[in-house]
Amino acid sequence: MPKDNRNICHSKTFETIYNLYAKDIRRFLFFKTQNVDRAEDILQEVFIKLWDNCSKVDYDKVKSYTYTIANNMFLNEVKHQKVVQSFNKHNKKESTNESPEFILLEKEFMEKLQNTIARLPEKQREVFLLNRIEKKKYKEIAINLNISVKAVEKRMHQALVIMRKEIGNV
Amino acid sequence: MKTFNTNNDSDIFLAKWLEGELSDNELKNLVSEDDFSAYLKLRKGMDVSEKLDAPITDTFEKIQNKIEDRKQKVKPLYKNWSIGIAASIIALFGLFMFLDNDKVSIETGFGESRSIVLLDGSEVLLNSKSQITYNQDGWDKERTINLVGEAYFKVAKGEKFTVITDNGSVTVLGTQFNVNSTQDFFEVICYEGKVGVKTTEYDYVLLPADAVRKVNGYPSEVSKTSLNEPTWIDGESTFKSVPLRYVIIALEDQYNISFDTIDINDADVFTGSFPHNNLNIALKTVFETLNITYNEKENRNIKLGYKE
Repeated sequence: MPKDNRNICHSKTFETIYNLYAKDIRRFLFFKTQNVDRAEDILQEVFIKLWDNCSKVDYDKVKSYTYTIANNMFLNEVKHQKVVQSFNKHNKKESTNESPEFILLEKEFMEKLQNTIARLPEKQREVFLLNRIEKKKYKEIAINLNISVKAVEKRMHQALVIMRKEIGNV
Repeated sequence: MKTFNTNNDSDIFLAKWLEGELSDNELKNLVSEDDFSAYLKLRKGMDVSEKLDAPITDTFEKIQNKIEDRKQKVKPLYKNWSIGIAASIIALFGLFMFLDNDKVSIETGFGESRSIVLLDGSEVLLNSKSQITYNQDGWDKERTINLVGEAYFKVAKGEKFTVITDNGSVTVLGTQFNVNSTQDFFEVICYEGKVGVKTTEYDYVLLPADAVRKVNGYPSEVSKTSLNEPTWIDGESTFKSVPLRYVIIALEDQYNISFDTIDINDADVFTGSFPHNNLNIALKTVFETLNITYNEKENRNIKLGYKE
């Protein structure tokens, strides 16, 4: 049984490895690509490749292996994108892969943001999480908390003002 | 544009903006440039962090499906291969069928004559405006040619050689003969060997210098020729008691002209010949002997009439 646990070709083990690293790799890929969808796509490719090579990969090195594939796949994608871009340039087409006001989200910023959310005052945090995580409308939150919509909006506004202060200059 | 720059809304506009009730441009007017870009980044950061924290189980399902799909694809791929192979076999067969039925068709235009050597060494001389078709495949077993118009055959010895026309068929073993099947005019002249002619009414066996002719449904008649080979081969068309109508057709085919025959009796019989290389002499030899005048009314249209 312990042997099976370390065999990546075993679907249970494979799933465990996935659950262990997938989120981090997606995050890692996002900071590389700055694009959630692309990160998601590459993540899938990474684990398909891991499955293909399950018998060749040492269980103890699977983490570094997956990160290496992720990085290589990202680089391959960049290479491909460059080809596509130069092709588009060659054909004098407008490349529209990024919006003009492209905002780079650095790893540090994202960490800071999450810390800030965690450290919001209780009232603001409650409204913020209900709105952002539970996807509730201000009206629903107002009913839930038995306060006015205006009060909800005020707390949300304050949450943003606090976050903006915490984040500092960007 | 809505104005939120009132005192009432000054403490909730960020909430409105985050909910999409206030546009980016409207926000831009309410805050400093630094604040504006900071808020944009905050919003994006929040969106992304939610997505990055989203459960990964969906993605795992997608990965499993992709792996499954690929496994299953092995079979469809094989299937596709077999379909492909089947298709190419059919295509090949089709091609061979085509080649099997490879009908050769040779046609001559106005005033053109052609000499064709068949696979067995038999020779066909095709007069103007005539066409032969034959099946190249299995020629050694069945020598059959379809003819429209006039042709002279020098058949090499071998299996039965058959010329099929609309007016009847000609069967030989190895000989030289001329077949003229123009519209309802049908004439076969044997120059060498033995020629079997089969019309709708009679079967004939022609010996050298024998000729059989069938015109427009009249009973066919047998006659003799003194020539060794048809004269058209040497650039001259020869007729022996042929209704003028067919002579005119021969002239038309040879010179690519047309005749207006409304004023003449085209059933008159003509005996003689016309050359293939000189229209004036041809017209003169054919029509002067019959006391017929010829005037070129329009280009290549000749009006025939009797002398006053």
